[in-house]
Amino acid sequence: MINNDTVLMAHLLRRAGFGATRNELEDYLALGYDGAVEALLNPSDAGNMPDDLIRRYHVEQSELRDLAGSAAYWMYRMISTSCPLEEKIALFWHGLFATGYAKLNQARSLLNQVDMFRRSGMGSFENLLVDLSKDPAMIVWLDNNENHDEAINENYGRELLELFSMGIGNYTEEDIKECSRAFTGWTLGNAEYMAIRAAKDSIWPYGRIAWHFDYREQDHDDGEKTFLGETGRFNGEDIIAIIAKQESTAQFVATRLFQFFAADEITEFGEKAIQEMITTYFSSGYQIKDMLRTLFNSDYFKSDEARFARVKGPVEMVVGAIRMAGNYQNPALGIEKVSNTMLYMGQGLLQPPTVEGWHEGSEWIDSGALVERVNFVAKELSNVQSPGVRSIIDRLEANSDAGILHPTALANGCLDLLGPIAVSEATHEVLVNYASRQGDLDLNGHQPGDEAEQRVGNMLRLVAATREYQLA
Amino acid sequence: MSTQTKSSRISLDYVKTIGIVNNGFNGRGFANPYDLTTDDEGRIFVLNRCDPARASAIRVGICNLDDEYLEEFGRGNGSGDGQFTWVVAMAKDRQNRLHITDEFNHRVTTYTTDGEYVSHWGKPGANDGELNGPAGIAVDSSDNLFIVDQNNSRVQKFTTEGKFIATWGEFGNSDGQFNLPWGVAVDKDDNVYIADWRNDRIQKFSNDGQFLVTFGSSGDGEGQFQRPTSVAIDPDGFIYIADWGNERVQILGPDGSFQLILKGEATLSKWAEEYLASNPEEKAERDISNLKPNLPAHLNTPYHISSQTEPYFWGPVSVTIDKKGRLYVTETNRHRFQVYQKR
Repeated sequence: MINNDTVLMAHLLRRAGFGATRNELEDYLALGYDGAVEALLNPSDAGNMPDDLIRRYHVEQSELRDLAGSAAYWMYRMISTSCPLEEKIALFWHGLFATGYAKLNQARSLLNQVDMFRRSGMGSFENLLVDLSKDPAMIVWLDNNENHDEAINENYGRELLELFSMGIGNYTEEDIKECSRAFTGWTLGNAEYMAIRAAKDSIWPYGRIAWHFDYREQDHDDGEKTFLGETGRFNGEDIIAIIAKQESTAQFVATRLFQFFAADEITEFGEKAIQEMITTYFSSGYQIKDMLRTLFNSDYFKSDEARFARVKGPVEMVVGAIRMAGNYQNPALGIEKVSNTMLYMGQGLLQPPTVEGWHEGSEWIDSGALVERVNFVAKELSNVQSPGVRSIIDRLEANSDAGILHPTALANGCLDLLGPIAVSEATHEVLVNYASRQGDLDLNGHQPGDEAEQRVGNMLRLVAATREYQLA
Repeated sequence: MSTQTKSSRISLDYVKTIGIVNNGFNGRGFANPYDLTTDDEGRIFVLNRCDPARASAIRVGICNLDDEYLEEFGRGNGSGDGQFTWVVAMAKDRQNRLHITDEFNHRVTTYTTDGEYVSHWGKPGANDGELNGPAGIAVDSSDNLFIVDQNNSRVQKFTTEGKFIATWGEFGNSDGQFNLPWGVAVDKDDNVYIADWRNDRIQKFSNDGQFLVTFGSSGDGEGQFQRPTSVAIDPDGFIYIADWGNERVQILGPDGSFQLILKGEATLSKWAEEYLASNPEEKAERDISNLKPNLPAHLNTPYHISSQTEPYFWGPVSVTIDKKGRLYVTETNRHRFQVYQKR
């Protein structure tokens, strides 16, 4: 077990959020671990950057016509929210129910889908699947607008079973057909016109027209269906109710939550937490929030084994660094370039590569992506004019010996305030050796951007380049 | 469905829509227009803010009511002579010069109405004559410029050459105070009206900055506002407000009494018709579509409704009145303006 409150809380906030500044960490510590878990699970006022301000200065984020501005719009939300789990769960479902701009050419509707993940993403999995099936972006992404009474299209039905719930091997081809029949007539308003516009990427004459769900009763196959051994005149909701009660669905949801919030690899110890989550899935009526509570309070999650057992995804990496540095708290030129940076690291918001989402874990790291990751974070954290970095400098000074930091104290202080981050002995030696080149650091009378402060910035830059910083 | 709430004292007829989204860097159409003004020759000047992908083409486009796209000018994105970054508003003086505010570069740039760059002035700061995010701009009968200095929570009065004359206002929500103000207009008596954006109200001042009266409060009811961006006054004293957050235009009487709501009723512009004529498959489906749909409850907000209801205003950022009683409503998110005629 992790026996240090600060270390444990930092671990929780890396998983249920995007990491934490020391001020945030102290606020959560005041709640205690259980209280912090509840605060994260029950988001209230997110306090994020208000839409009116964003729209005033960013016309592209008011119209949300193009990908870059739309991804940046979500970035602002992640950067400025006080309810980070709300964004983290939306990101989780965005990766699992992966829906991409490339086919839709409709960013506003993708962001409406993300709103739905915020709204329903910690509620009942059954309700979430219903909302997902009514989501216009998903409908177009998997061609359910082409799923008709007289001519079914199985794309959505197939992926609902294979990628979004039970997983392959737990149903038959006949189940897919029957499932698809149940979702006939589930389409979007003005489906034919919107499909042409999406296919042509038409923005004419007056920009995009966002989408909404429409049920066409006359196009719905109301006949008897047999699905997973049950027979009836099932509609989509009935099919989802059957899916939700399957053991394989519980296993799927628990496993994917575990891999996103706890660890990339599942050990025997980790499997125990998954089984506890499956129990909660059924006892709570498929509530995701309750499954997360079980996970965060599990012995596994609080163990040393779970700490730094995940590779940070690019979005976690970038958002975490910006939040730590305290940048982009107001609308500013250049935010769309930051969202592009995540794409270069392999994770473009609103543009997962396929319906399978991103390949996570160690696959985030290749030589090109690693350079992008290190460069971005190093640049954010080494800018001593950034408010978050200034706060780190002030804390280092407050914890120093009359303004003097010995090289080891400088390295340890930066590792502590950026995490705390645990590094190997070899890494620690490199950091201390680097700090020792210029001897003790004297922060007495330091001024913004002076040489003393820049030494802190350089140490933060070096920490950002460590292997350990790549892990959550 | 009618998109006007009727008043017995004032009535407007919808005339037409002009515009089409311009996805490129020049030519016919608009790119996130932010303001509009007219001249006595029937020319309509449209200030295109442009999104970051098209920032290098920030420009003023010129057209007329006969749907002719005449020309455009601008020197691209940046802080050099004649360049812009975040343009907000535009006012024409009595020497036929256009003064354009840039809230990023903290300055005003002047062009002739023939598109010749004249000069720019202004520097960042909070002292008299300095600017921090200049937004709305208007001209009075003596050719003085009133500039809304948004981040300094004040209004400043200048000559058209940029010489400081006066200032008033401070941050707050009491009379004469502002919270991120945006638009400004001058009436025939040279009184000054400010769209006090984040206080959801319009404030009226004398020409020298004496507070006179305030109109409106926060909300979506009649006479209430959500982030008003622009205000215009007609010769009879009626007050037109771009009620941006409510995606509508409201008209108040000279005494501030509520008169009328416009929600927009855009039809196809001539340019839009030409696009659809060359895309018959798209037109055929469009013709049988319902462009005023009923939306699910979670989308029942003015923003979402306008994002899916093409005839309605979406991002109505600017209202302009010309000498013939026409109202022009500029829509950022629809790349067009709708024209109404006062009866």
